[in-house]
Amino acid sequence: MSAIVETGGSGKGDGKVRGKKLNTNVDMTPMVDLGFLLITFFMLATTMSKPTSMTLNVPDKTEKNDETEPLKASKVLTLFLGKNDDVYYLDGVAADDPKAEESLKTTRFGSELRSVIFESSNRINAANAKDEKGYGAFVCVIKPTVVSTYKNMVDVLDEMAITKSKKYALVDNLTDSEKKLLGDKVKP
Amino acid sequence: MAIVKPKKHPPHMDMTPMVDLAFLLLTFFIMTATFKTNDAEVTTPSSVSTIKVPDDKIMIISIDKTGKVFFGVDAQPTRISMLDNIAQSKGISFTDLEKKKFSLQSSFGFPLNQLKAYLNTPDGEMAQIKQPGIPVDSTGTSELADWVYAARKADPGLRIALKGDNLAKFPVFKDVLGNLQSQNINRFNLITGSEAAPAGFKMD
Repeated sequence: MSAIVETGGSGKGDGKVRGKKLNTNVDMTPMVDLGFLLITFFMLATTMSKPTSMTLNVPDKTEKNDETEPLKASKVLTLFLGKNDDVYYLDGVAADDPKAEESLKTTRFGSELRSVIFESSNRINAANAKDEKGYGAFVCVIKPTVVSTYKNMVDVLDEMAITKSKKYALVDNLTDSEKKLLGDKVKP
Repeated sequence: MAIVKPKKHPPHMDMTPMVDLAFLLLTFFIMTATFKTNDAEVTTPSSVSTIKVPDDKIMIISIDKTGKVFFGVDAQPTRISMLDNIAQSKGISFTDLEKKKFSLQSSFGFPLNQLKAYLNTPDGEMAQIKQPGIPVDSTGTSELADWVYAARKADPGLRIALKGDNLAKFPVFKDVLGNLQSQNINRFNLITGSEAAPAGFKMD
């Protein structure tokens, strides 16, 4: 332990009588033991990373908004959240389009999905003029299905934040043509 | 021949710096400690969001991985007046002891008709009881909605946070959402862990 070895009292021959020096060494081992015990305890008991939060605004259900016109399928990227973290998407094609079957593709979360969103938003924003508020024409419709998890939804909302897609909608019911299109992929 | 032997010393190391550091760390951990609570075990997904969850004036609706829903309010006085509110509207009465015990629960997941029995179990056994979760259905008028209403009546300034488990199924979240929307709550926080944003990303 951090003992300070006292080497006092070695003066010799000066003839003076000195009081015997007391040993000032204190055994610190128990204190240090306790200190480390407490460190261990506090390290295990604390939650270090404080959780963050993302704000979610959902449209008012009671408020009737008559002025919205149906979205044009050519400006929309529809993401279906399936099971096992799969994402199916329709890029600029409506689900009742005859081409829908062949244009339904599958992707995974992470950079794959991100590049899909970027690609689609760049294409759509380039082809269409900005709206009166200065946002691009690109709209992303997110459709979590019954087999998807909460994590999937948060991940997609996070992608929206990362790709800075300002216009997105969280829609929780599938239309009949979408149900037909996805078929067994969204069966529990 | 005289061999010069080095004088043997017992190995001696100065541990003062180590001890100093140890106590510095100890102080740090004591100061920053916010203790884990015995809430429902929820592993939240992560997001790049940098907004911190507020510490006070908050109600947290948790969804665990099996889809059970838990509810909790942060301040103890609010918990009591929330219980009073719900007791009044449902025609139940709670004793002072039950209220006291209720105010100590940081979150709970019991249907209203089982809550009284739970509050009357001895302290030691409370932690072992499996909580069935608060009933939530898609009608938007289930017990969770009643609790949220009671809590907002107790403290109108409460913020609403949702904390879902990674594995919770989406329909449960949809039902919870329905319960909130039926009361015209359209803005809330999703509690997530933090993760690093991809390279080149700037929050605006």
